[in-house]
Amino acid sequence: MTDTDDLPLKGVRVFELGIAIASPFCGKLMAHFGADVLKIESRMSPDVVRILGSAWLKDREDLAPISSDTSPYVSEMNASKRSVGLELKTEEGKAAALQLLAECDVFLANFGARALAELGFDYDSVAAVNPNIVYVQLPGFGSDETMPYYPFVAWGPNQAPLVGMDDFTGHADDPPAGIATIAPPDYMSALHAAIATITGLEQRETTGEGVHVDISQFETTLALLGPFVMDYDLTGTVYSRIGNRSIWGAPQGVYPCTGNERWIAISATEAEDWTTLRSLVGQAVDPEFDDASIRNADQDRLDEQIAAWTSSFEVEDLAHRLQAAGIAAHVVSTNEDLLHDTHVTSREWYQVAPSNRLGRDVFSGCAVKLSATPGRWTEAGPSMGQHTREILSDVVGLSDEAIDHLISAGGAFEQIEPGMVATRPWNDWIHLLVPGTEDARDL
Amino acid sequence: MAGPYSGIRVVDTTGLSGAYATRLLAGLGAEVIRLESPDGSPLRRLSPFAENIEAPENSLWWSYLAMGTRSVVIDPQDTESLMQLLATADVVFEDQLPEKSVLPAGEISPTTIRTKILPFGSSGPKRNWHTSNLVAWAASGILYTTGFTNRAPVAPAAPLQLAYHASAASALVGTLLALRSRRMTGRGQEVEISMQEVTLSIAPETGVPMFMDDRVHRERTGNRRDLGRPFGLYPCKDGFVSIIVLMPRHWTAMAQWVSEATGNESITEEVFVDNAVRVEAKDLIDDWVEELTTQGTRLELFEEGQRRGIPITPVNTIDALVGNPHLEAADFWTKTHLQDDTEVTIPGAPFRSSSPWWSMAPAPRLGEHTHMYLS
Repeated sequence: MTDTDDLPLKGVRVFELGIAIASPFCGKLMAHFGADVLKIESRMSPDVVRILGSAWLKDREDLAPISSDTSPYVSEMNASKRSVGLELKTEEGKAAALQLLAECDVFLANFGARALAELGFDYDSVAAVNPNIVYVQLPGFGSDETMPYYPFVAWGPNQAPLVGMDDFTGHADDPPAGIATIAPPDYMSALHAAIATITGLEQRETTGEGVHVDISQFETTLALLGPFVMDYDLTGTVYSRIGNRSIWGAPQGVYPCTGNERWIAISATEAEDWTTLRSLVGQAVDPEFDDASIRNADQDRLDEQIAAWTSSFEVEDLAHRLQAAGIAAHVVSTNEDLLHDTHVTSREWYQVAPSNRLGRDVFSGCAVKLSATPGRWTEAGPSMGQHTREILSDVVGLSDEAIDHLISAGGAFEQIEPGMVATRPWNDWIHLLVPGTEDARDL
Repeated sequence: MAGPYSGIRVVDTTGLSGAYATRLLAGLGAEVIRLESPDGSPLRRLSPFAENIEAPENSLWWSYLAMGTRSVVIDPQDTESLMQLLATADVVFEDQLPEKSVLPAGEISPTTIRTKILPFGSSGPKRNWHTSNLVAWAASGILYTTGFTNRAPVAPAAPLQLAYHASAASALVGTLLALRSRRMTGRGQEVEISMQEVTLSIAPETGVPMFMDDRVHRERTGNRRDLGRPFGLYPCKDGFVSIIVLMPRHWTAMAQWVSEATGNESITEEVFVDNAVRVEAKDLIDDWVEELTTQGTRLELFEEGQRRGIPITPVNTIDALVGNPHLEAADFWTKTHLQDDTEVTIPGAPFRSSSPWWSMAPAPRLGEHTHMYLS
């Protein structure tokens, strides 16, 4: 375990107004690498992860008061942050927040630009109390109020279609399948926010000046479309969905294996891949496909023949055979497959950390790994308002009486029912997700 | 070169897995050198290609992702030149396991940052496994849940190569953290990215913590979901729009709009304010909503729906995006030049900063800068 003193973001304090994913995912990354990330929370308009609750809690009326601390997304997006309950729509809460902001290095928010301005936390208002702040905001459509879509609203799943991702998803002859279960624009915006924040902090070291970065999620995600925009400009070609195929060679696809809904993904688009694949499929695929131009021209028939070949294999076995021969392939993993994926657990992808409300909780680790200054998880996701008093006292310097007054005036709140704790039904199995596990199949 | 990372020298030995990261680094002012073999970077072989320009200068992927960088060609056998170049690098981007790499396995220098983007990471039973954008999504749980029930599952936005770009962006986050750490300690270190872990990190919906909590085996549901109604894609005159109505105020606005546009009086009945009732009656609700959406274009429905406060967006295609009025007003699109001086439209900076952070020269010719770095 690395001491926080060695971490790259030691001494950096982040004021985070985050909802759902885009800004919280960035904040979690920063917390992992040593920043003191303060998640500012509201009961009047809570983060959606506080509303979600937990599946097993639905019939537990006795635990209803602490439902807001139990969604798996609380730890998934907010591990190692501290939670401060401040009602920014109240005069008292706003005043305390501005005092707190004066002690912070980074302002991070993914509220809509208009909502943020109406709350009085637009860049100019924040810079008035902290001129050197690194201010990073992630509104859906930018923070320039003169722009046409400034007031527009979009949920995560609305953003992927907006930037062309849904049209790019699905088989060529089908309607767009859409990306129902993830919102890549949220995550790409979060990663750009992390890049902008670290850049801003470094630049402040040399210039002494803060910066305002506006990450319009609409624009940020479009930066991934470069080559397709260029081809449209040059030739008028409008690229669209092509299933799982590659625009660079064949075969590539998802093929059936034995059993119900068992699929394998195979990419064998390079010439040497084909030579290898041929040695495995033998006579199951017509000899004429040894010609790359025929492989590309007649992908329907090629895919049919490969599918006929894969359908007699058990999926895990076939993935190992293909990879052993040097071909990129993988089981199309279900969530249950991932639970048993010993590669993932051997790399300690799932993390366990203490939780104030749940005893301990499990969440996904960080995909960014540093050898000399690895990050650390101090805690799982915080309870709502868990750290209100300590932060107002230690960071802002308020007396206990002043904090009591702030709370009774409705400007701040502390954790509800501090003595009420719950345990996830699967708590006893958490150890199976860390290395040394034998078998988690009992689940 | 100006920008916050001016003075930092980066050598990129990767192909698609690191390209988006070093593109951003170049935009932020770093001196980025793309190490190429005599037959060129793998990016140069990726279509689409520009007409009228000869290989290896015609790939639009290269022209976009290599902007602002320099090209140095070194024969893989020429270890001396390779070491000469690497010795001056602050950061080296790599995409090979040590035993398969032409780069030295040991330390280059105590201050060098080595950023490795690997298919499944440097450890674990699958460390030698190969990957692709498709394979990375297959290993994340997301591919399985995307698509229609009666069809094979599909990768999200496959042509965009999102798994590579998300890995590159993650690698850049790690690299910038390592640079910050080096400024404070004087020491370099290794940054490691497993592409599988990157896709897992952006797919918590199908992840193990979620599964252990609700034990729901997530399956494909096509382009609509039963979390609400309307929820998902709806056909219109020139394609589809995406509508997500969960909140009561959004439904009230939606019902009012359908009623005004189609004369439907039933839809405004009080009973449908309850989301659960609408999900129960989803076929009926979908029919009514489609009577509205099929009357308009994507842009008309988007702008009118948003005016009414409804979360609705167009299912955009490239042509619609390039012509989008907001992006035009925001002056988002910019230009670069291809090797024959053709001017071409490209996306602008990925974020806007109050400091002058972003500048991008055109992509270099193969070996254009070799003479500057090798004596």
